[in-house]
Amino acid sequence: MNYLIALIAAGLATGAIYGLVAIGFAIIYKATGIINFAQGEMVMLNAYLGLSIATFSGVGFWALVPLVILASILVGLAVEFLLVRPMLGEPAISIVMMTVGLAVCLRSLVILIWGAEPQVLPVHPAEDVVQILGARLYSTQILAIVCLALVVVGFFVFYRHTRAGLAMRASSSNETVALLMGIDVRRIYALAWGLASVTGGLAGLLVATIYELGPDMFAFGLRSFPAVILGGLDSAIGAAVGGAIIGVLENLGEGYIGRGLKEIVGFVVILMVLMVRPYGMFGTRDVERV
Amino acid sequence: MRAGIFKETYPELVRLTDSMPVKVWSILLVLGASLLPALVGSYALSFGTTIVITSIGVVGLNLLTGTCGLISLGHAGFMAVGAYGAGIMALDYGWSAIPAILVGGFAASLSSLLVGVPSLRLKGLYLAITTLAFTVIVTHLILNMPQLTRGSAGLFMPVADLMGIEMKSTGAFYLFALALAVLAVLGVLNLMRSRVGRAFLAIREQDIAAEMMGIHLARFKLLAFAISAFYTGIAGALFAYQVRYINVDSFGLLLSIEALGIIIVGGLGSVAGAVIGTVFMTLLPEGIRILFDLLGAGLQEIFSTRALELRGLIYGAVIILVLRFQPEGLIGIWREVRRIWTNWPFRY
Repeated sequence: MNYLIALIAAGLATGAIYGLVAIGFAIIYKATGIINFAQGEMVMLNAYLGLSIATFSGVGFWALVPLVILASILVGLAVEFLLVRPMLGEPAISIVMMTVGLAVCLRSLVILIWGAEPQVLPVHPAEDVVQILGARLYSTQILAIVCLALVVVGFFVFYRHTRAGLAMRASSSNETVALLMGIDVRRIYALAWGLASVTGGLAGLLVATIYELGPDMFAFGLRSFPAVILGGLDSAIGAAVGGAIIGVLENLGEGYIGRGLKEIVGFVVILMVLMVRPYGMFGTRDVERV
Repeated sequence: MRAGIFKETYPELVRLTDSMPVKVWSILLVLGASLLPALVGSYALSFGTTIVITSIGVVGLNLLTGTCGLISLGHAGFMAVGAYGAGIMALDYGWSAIPAILVGGFAASLSSLLVGVPSLRLKGLYLAITTLAFTVIVTHLILNMPQLTRGSAGLFMPVADLMGIEMKSTGAFYLFALALAVLAVLGVLNLMRSRVGRAFLAIREQDIAAEMMGIHLARFKLLAFAISAFYTGIAGALFAYQVRYINVDSFGLLLSIEALGIIIVGGLGSVAGAVIGTVFMTLLPEGIRILFDLLGAGLQEIFSTRALELRGLIYGAVIILVLRFQPEGLIGIWREVRRIWTNWPFRY
């Protein structure tokens, strides 16, 4: 029983990171209808920017968080402004492939700038072991779960109760009508990329504190795909729930069935889920008219 | 100046080509390509072999993604299945190259049904992710079935043999691969002018409308997957024979992305574009290396220590630039040149 609880607790912590990355996918898909294949790479880039900021400015961990958020917003806006905006109106596959190209570029760029060796973030939050329901968790892992919960609540409020959130929902439901109602859809796109980059930056910071900084961090993007598919590509809340579920399932698979399963459990799960519900758990069904 | 070309019968409309220059130049191109071993050294020839093998796989991917509109990130998986299928047949059962390669192709085809069945319900990007899942699962299975695949140790392939004669020289293997590539290209071109090819195009444009027109969606989508995977499996098997050693690391996700990059740079949906894209993208890193050599010793040093990263950077940048400034791909440039050439001195 203790083993089960321990597996679930640790899975939730990993799942929280998946959830944060996956929310980034969902925000961009909801607003613009494309999957950002460079999300994992943006996680990595933002984390490495955090490393450089921490090294140069010498601030503590909690002061680093807003700085990383700021840097992430800039990264997201830069990508949107330089790469996505000029391609508006092209078919979705072109823009998706552009993000794939960006992913390949960023992967190499990070190694060229920061080197291929794993690095450690110079600042850490206070770290102790906390006992919850018989499971022992590091405080950083709890931080990850809390962070996901805060982000989810934040997005819930944002989508429901702010003008920008309403505008974003409007433009995702029908871009043209939203445009006619006076919503600046391009600004909504920029906002979506900025927000997605921020959740990526938070995820990157968490990965850097719980594990380490390495040029293979982009794999978190890859492993968050099942989360966002499970939750439904256009649901931020669904992505968070999906992330938690995938994290737990991965740990259970690894713990009870066999080694090496961790990498593929998520993908097996989505293969099965997609057979039954092709639009995920929380996604909206696409009704197509010819 | 030509006023227009008039096709009066249906067979005339679907003919492969009705232009004499196209026929002559195609034959000359194949002849020229088959003279390559006599003309260049073994280093340059290895690029030739890579191009020929890659174009088989890329033509297959192009059939699925470019022609049928189903985005696949799973072709590295199909290639792995093809390579391991052929490898196991050649190593454990002592089959000769051609049957082993065919087994590789059919194994990939069969495995494609695994992805093809969910694809009947999935659209666009959901499908891309499912095919991605396929690659991940194939990699896992290869690593965890050591009694069949030798796990992480990989396979050491024998020399390819044709009817009992070993193809020891790289030239012989190049010619063998070239022959298969020509067959592959002819196969796709002929498929495209049949009912099946037109059905694929209809599915790409609008699959629900295609279904209304009497196209059996399930059958044709699965067929597209099977043919595409067959080509990619053959490319994988040839790749195994070329490099003589394969393990799971040879078939990472990056391979699928590179293949997609090639068809986008070449021009989506065009067979010639796929081949041109392959030539361009295979020679690009080498071209850049030569450029760096010319620029001086300092840059050369960066290149030797960080070759892989620079290659990735340039690869990504080329994909982005092509999408941004030449969405039709390289074949688009060719079409434009041809149009200007025919219509000169008029604009159109």
